[in-house]
Amino acid sequence: MRPAALLALLGLVDAAFSGFRAYAGRDARIRKQRAIARAALRGLAVGAVALLAPVLAASCLLLATPDPARTYAALTAGAIGYLLPLAGYAVVVLLSLAAYFWLPFRAGTLAMVVGLGPLTLLRPLAVAAACTGAVLNGGGGRSLLVGVVAGAAVLCVGPAVHRRWYSTVQ
Amino acid sequence: MLQLEISDLITAVDPHTGHRLPVRRSEVIRQLRATGDERAARIVARLPTDEDGVLDPDAVDRLLVLVHTELQRLSEELRMGERLVHVLGPLFTAIRATTGQAGPYRLVDVGCGLGYLVRRLAATEALGKDVELVGVDLDAALVGEADRLARADGLDCRFVHGNAFALPEAATVYVSTGVLHHFRGPALEEFFQAQAASPALAFCHFDIATNRLAPVGAWVFHRARMRHPLGRHDGVVSALRAHGDETLLRAASAPGIRALLYEPRSVANPFCTALRPVVGVRPHLEAPLRRALGRAARRLVGPEHFAVGTR
Repeated sequence: MRPAALLALLGLVDAAFSGFRAYAGRDARIRKQRAIARAALRGLAVGAVALLAPVLAASCLLLATPDPARTYAALTAGAIGYLLPLAGYAVVVLLSLAAYFWLPFRAGTLAMVVGLGPLTLLRPLAVAAACTGAVLNGGGGRSLLVGVVAGAAVLCVGPAVHRRWYSTVQ
Repeated sequence: MLQLEISDLITAVDPHTGHRLPVRRSEVIRQLRATGDERAARIVARLPTDEDGVLDPDAVDRLLVLVHTELQRLSEELRMGERLVHVLGPLFTAIRATTGQAGPYRLVDVGCGLGYLVRRLAATEALGKDVELVGVDLDAALVGEADRLARADGLDCRFVHGNAFALPEAATVYVSTGVLHHFRGPALEEFFQAQAASPALAFCHFDIATNRLAPVGAWVFHRARMRHPLGRHDGVVSALRAHGDETLLRAASAPGIRALLYEPRSVANPFCTALRPVVGVRPHLEAPLRRALGRAARRLVGPEHFAVGTR
């Protein structure tokens, strides 16, 4: 089930970024590369656990259904529909990041102002678009259920890491 | 009516002694309500007080350190360190060329807050080892935190609690970021006049570039990057309170100073220039500064640029 693997990969990368975001703005030191790496790893770890929720949801659906093959096919179609909007979002984020890190500071500001800042706010909308994509691609209610669980899990990583490790100034 | 920043109201110091003054929560709320800012009043209403209704100074200090730590993230993401060096590097090159002295020179960051720019300049040594880096702020808690952070990173810079224009040693260059919009009316001109009357050779003060997109951009950015409602509120109000290009140039045109604006609205893309500096130099420094800036000198304009524009 290749779409599921790609979605898991996207979810883990997002979790690492969520770990960074949970930490960002809590440590005013200049030299903090190790702290940033630690925050990303914490996000990754929390994300790995959180992403077990959609795996569990999909597994339960497959075990409970009288027609596992049909359910599996629906979930696969839903996963593809779920993946497309998220892949588009990820490409825009990666292009913005590349522009931010490799272009001169004026273009870097542009990438931040037009790209990375607003994109952070748009994460819930990207998840909503993915859920819609899952349904539209023939995934049905079961894919929607797994998609909602996966989206909630991904969106919870940042707040969880922040609450656990970064609720106060470092 | 012009909105007020909460962080300006919840602390007060005696301008002569630098001692902290008590601030009554009800008075802050009254001021905010007078401007019609009910949301800000609700934020302040949640701050702790003692039995007399005076804001808890320790809680206020912790809050301001927290909000300034979040604010530093914006400076990092908008690459303020690089922006500052982009202008200050050529400025110190011009100063070295005209004074003919080996230094040391002194850069003083006025209203440094947590001293991000001073600490970053110290960490990168971008201006050279002959430039002493000093951050000054009237808020003792922020200065204390800036000092702690500098020591944690082992940086060669220092921070002073007090008035930047009353230091025992003269500054060569005064800088600031996000400070100018706090000065209203005559206080803005007095701020520049104090520098013109000092032995300083130049100043370079960055503040939010005014355009129609600035408040929207400030809302998006502070919503996305800042967590505390006070920081989100003050970030947007800062953009609303920012001075226009011509106002800044007029105020900065003090006797003995050639006032210039780098990347004003008319020559810069607003999406690429969230903050831009007003630069003041002693008249003999302008030509060397333009030479040191090279092609970028075309982005440096004086009051005559606006006079032509309004004809």
